[in-house]
Amino acid sequence: MRVDIQSLGTYNRLAQEGAEHAAASLTQMTGIETYVDVTNVTLMSKRDVEDVFGGTAFVGVQIGVGGGLSGETALAFDRESAASIVDVLVPGATAGDDDEFDDMARSGISEIGNIMMGGFVDGWADYLSTNVDMTPPTYVERDGTDVLPEGALARAKEEHVFVFESQMTAVDEEIDAYIYMLPEYGTFAEMLEASDDHDDAIPMDKLTVFDEMTRQGAERAAENVSSMTGIETDVDVSRLSFVPIEDVPNTTRDEVYLGTVMEFKGTPGGYLAILFDEPSARTIVDATVPMELDEPLGDMGESAIQEMGNIMTSGFIDGWANVLQTSIDHTPPELVHDLGTAILSPIAGRLGQSQEYAFLMDSTVVTPEGALNCEIYAIPDEQKLKEALDALLVERSDQLEANRESLF
Amino acid sequence: MKTYGGTSSSRTRERVGIADFAVTADGAVLTTSGLGSCLGIGLRDGSAGVAGLVHVMLPTAPEDPPNAAKYADTGIGAVLNAMYAEGASSGRVRAKLVGGSAMFEFDSQDEPIGERNVAVTRATLDRLGIPVDAEDVGGDSGRSIRFHGDTGDLRIKSAGTERRI
Repeated sequence: MRVDIQSLGTYNRLAQEGAEHAAASLTQMTGIETYVDVTNVTLMSKRDVEDVFGGTAFVGVQIGVGGGLSGETALAFDRESAASIVDVLVPGATAGDDDEFDDMARSGISEIGNIMMGGFVDGWADYLSTNVDMTPPTYVERDGTDVLPEGALARAKEEHVFVFESQMTAVDEEIDAYIYMLPEYGTFAEMLEASDDHDDAIPMDKLTVFDEMTRQGAERAAENVSSMTGIETDVDVSRLSFVPIEDVPNTTRDEVYLGTVMEFKGTPGGYLAILFDEPSARTIVDATVPMELDEPLGDMGESAIQEMGNIMTSGFIDGWANVLQTSIDHTPPELVHDLGTAILSPIAGRLGQSQEYAFLMDSTVVTPEGALNCEIYAIPDEQKLKEALDALLVERSDQLEANRESLF
Repeated sequence: MKTYGGTSSSRTRERVGIADFAVTADGAVLTTSGLGSCLGIGLRDGSAGVAGLVHVMLPTAPEDPPNAAKYADTGIGAVLNAMYAEGASSGRVRAKLVGGSAMFEFDSQDEPIGERNVAVTRATLDRLGIPVDAEDVGGDSGRSIRFHGDTGDLRIKSAGTERRI
């Protein structure tokens, strides 16, 4: 099957629209000012799903939708956010961090969840000019992937799943809400399917290979960190998502990062940013520079990060070149120390001259103790990505498995 | 990206995302963070007490853009229209520009995005007869700003320093 980029873009807009309705409902009910941070559609393997959802306690509702588009949706708050919402909605209900949510708290969450999802689904129904039926909300209070609609993980095991994810954030408070929508694969694939002569189509099977390439790139980069620092690292999240180009800078957190950015040229062309938040940069510097350095990190600290960025970049590029069996030219990685959005804005700007959406491959390298959090963003040029995928034989995905064995 | 909130009278601070704008008629502080090559354009009619802030990403819009606030040439028009609806008058609006830096070597030659954002914005404002009172543009650092709707004061945080224009 081939995926039509235009229609993927349309669905992304729909999810964005729906999420804005949902955020407006949340604000109206609670008086807490919220905004939609990012809406993306992600192609996830089982492992991606586990990485993204694992280890977090969610509270929320699940609702099935049928009609124009069938599938499952979940509205989830992390536990602390749910407790804050309950405090506003149903004062007197018990929803402390350590407490069980009592019946009143549960029904408050169910109610707000139902209203928010109603807004979300209305946006879709309007566009599809059809009725979308909703099942009554099921209250869920679970860990990790269990919050996902039933069967999602099993399906992801068979084939990649499309996950629409919208993140809503409160302006002045620590509240995050997420909407996940997992369309039934068959119907959705039919809607996305492009005719063979469509210029703008991307072959689905190759896209999943690219997703795997990103993981491989990130794993090699992580390995290089470990060998440089002696710190044990792991790739926590690696996924391929499709976002409006103006949302690319928002995928970083609203904080200052240190790292390196470079442009890769040829096929695929694009950009690679390797970013450490400041505490993580400190961890790296302490592990690689054999003397005590001042706070904040000065020239010496920055040059240690530059060095680390260089080494991770070459690991990442090796991972890609290995799959594409081609060398990848790139500019020297440039050191950057600034706000995440400011760092990614020129990348979004340069790509935005010729494309409305971006395929964003983001990975996170972490340590088991959480002392290190490094975000890797690879953002290919859409046209060049298409060329690279066209040149990529799908049989290579088997070889990829073989290579993985020999590499790691 | 839109921010949802209570009525405008109860709001004191409004966050503007990328390719987004906000307008205040009651002296709210309009903020936007992480301007790199993007440009923040603060507009204000002091006598009407109406101010607006738009965070544009690219200089020139294609035909019929889905989101006018993404581009300098159309974003200015979008925020002005919203300001006129709140009582601002076209002859009295003045502007301040912040951002448009060149963060990287690869964005420094070959028509840097930030520089073009600034050039197109100046040309658009000039055509509309809107004077630019102050600007803090270029360089190689990101900026975060707070634009005070009541005074027109614009505070900038960049690379660990703070200044105002």
